Amino acid sequence: MTLEVKNLTKIFDNKKVLDNVSFKVENGQTLGVVGFSGSGKSTLLKIISGILEKDSGEIILPNNSEVAMAFQYSALFDFLDVYDNIAFPLVERKEFRGKYSKDEITKIVSQKLQMVGLEGIEEKFPSELSGGMQKRVGFARAIVTNPNVILYDEPTSGLDPVTSTMIEDYIVRLKRELNASCVVVTHQLSTIRRAVDYVIMLYQGKIVFDGKVEDFLNNKNEYARQFVTASIQGPMNIIGK
Amino acid sequence: MFELNKTFTYQRFVLLWGQIEEFLILIGNLGKDFVDVIKRILSLEINLNETIEQSKRFAYDSLPISLTIVSMTSAIIAMQLAPELARQGGADYTGMLSALVMVRELAAVMSAFAIISMVGASFASEIASMAVTEQISAMKVLKVDPIAYLFVPRFIAGALFMPVVFIVSGFCGLVCAGLVSNWCADLSLLNYFTSLWHGLYIRDIFIALLKSSFFGATIALISSSCGYSAHGGAKEVGLATTKAVVSSFLAIAMWDFIFASVFYL
Ligand SMILES: Nc1ncnc2c1ncn2[C@@H]1O[C@H](COP(=O)(O)OP(=O)(O)OP(=O)(O)O)[C@@H](O)[C@H]1O
Ligand SMILES: [Mg+2]
Repeated sequence: MTLEVKNLTKIFDNKKVLDNVSFKVENGQTLGVVGFSGSGKSTLLKIISGILEKDSGEIILPNNSEVAMAFQYSALFDFLDVYDNIAFPLVERKEFRGKYSKDEITKIVSQKLQMVGLEGIEEKFPSELSGGMQKRVGFARAIVTNPNVILYDEPTSGLDPVTSTMIEDYIVRLKRELNASCVVVTHQLSTIRRAVDYVIMLYQGKIVFDGKVEDFLNNKNEYARQFVTASIQGPMNIIGK
Repeated sequence: MFELNKTFTYQRFVLLWGQIEEFLILIGNLGKDFVDVIKRILSLEINLNETIEQSKRFAYDSLPISLTIVSMTSAIIAMQLAPELARQGGADYTGMLSALVMVRELAAVMSAFAIISMVGASFASEIASMAVTEQISAMKVLKVDPIAYLFVPRFIAGALFMPVVFIVSGFCGLVCAGLVSNWCADLSLLNYFTSLWHGLYIRDIFIALLKSSFFGATIALISSSCGYSAHGGAKEVGLATTKAVVSSFLAIAMWDFIFASVFYL
């Protein structure tokens, strides 16, 4: 599925959080989105997934696209256990009513849990899991409907390096298996290195870098350089913003 | 220098205007949510499991508190009424009066108040906390309609089971009033229950059932709607719950007034 975003603008309280943002993610590609905290990354994903309305611009997606999103803070249903969380769309979505038998759902759920490296926790509630486990259950829930556009909001933040690597490999694998286009919002350079094909960088609502991962990491752009080297000096000023 | 925007009156006015604005937004949300809920019900988008679950909360879980409140209130009224009536030679009317008061007003209104504090508050806070932790956003991305999943079952539970709560608590209230009259005015139970039938009209009961159904649906709708429109953090959950409880109380008073004027004026 090709995802295209054209001239997207979003205004919150007279402030342009996204200002004329355009990019394209081809089938089987992963776009990394980086930027300071508050630069509009989550807002971008929320508009693509239809949670927020845009103020102007276009989101172009084919008709048969199935968009999934892994939330920054997991957003698991806290009144349901892990099993019911993952099975939720299969059971509750109108078009799936009665399509899957109980056994099939059980099989799909345990298969998805296995994919994110969690097994045998079906009966636990989200509050009984660690933050990283919640995140992974969130991925399992997101991919249960075999989406072809997957949005990840900071998938590796708050995870240990080994689990992060696992998640990164998993993002790559999943993209191949589902032939999906992915957008990964991240602060972590390891995620950009391992799981991403192209990078855009947002600053004050605008795209200030757009290019290949190598170029992003190799200091070709002064914004990218400031981000990669974690420098206070540079074109971006975080204080007072 | 006189600065208008620093005067006390001006600041009060701004505060008041803010509250009016908030009230209008609430009314707008309620109207929209009501239309959405009715649309889902008409197209039979009813989640049976959730409806059963919510009905259980509405009717069964709330019974201890609604029974207690209605029974206590009717006992107190009987305590005040029965000795006075006996003194004035009208002891025979105790049962009748109790039935009139209980069926026409007390049972429905008092159990509605109990339900607001018990069920309405928990509907509002749980939906608000889902809203602020993005669970409702997640639901939308998973293409599950939050109105059909969250609102409709609660609305149906309220409309169907509030009348049940009314019947049960009204019955208990009447029995309590009889026992108390017997205890503090030496009124015989036989006498009380014989007189009670004179105050019990089928019409009153039907009106009260209808009214309870309106109460239940209103409490469910207001609570869900206030919770749903919460955004921000934990503080907003508290605010949404307060708003739901206060608005529900007001709405019940309003419905009660409308029913009394339409059917008894
Ligand atoms: N619902 C909202 N109402 C008003 N302003 C909002 C809302 N959501 C986000 N904002 C504002 O939009 C800006 C971008 O927020 P967003 O969550 O997209 O940032 P982010 O890049 O994801 O940051 P982080 O890296 O911290 O997650 C922030 O300044 C925020 O205050
Ligand atoms: Mg974010």
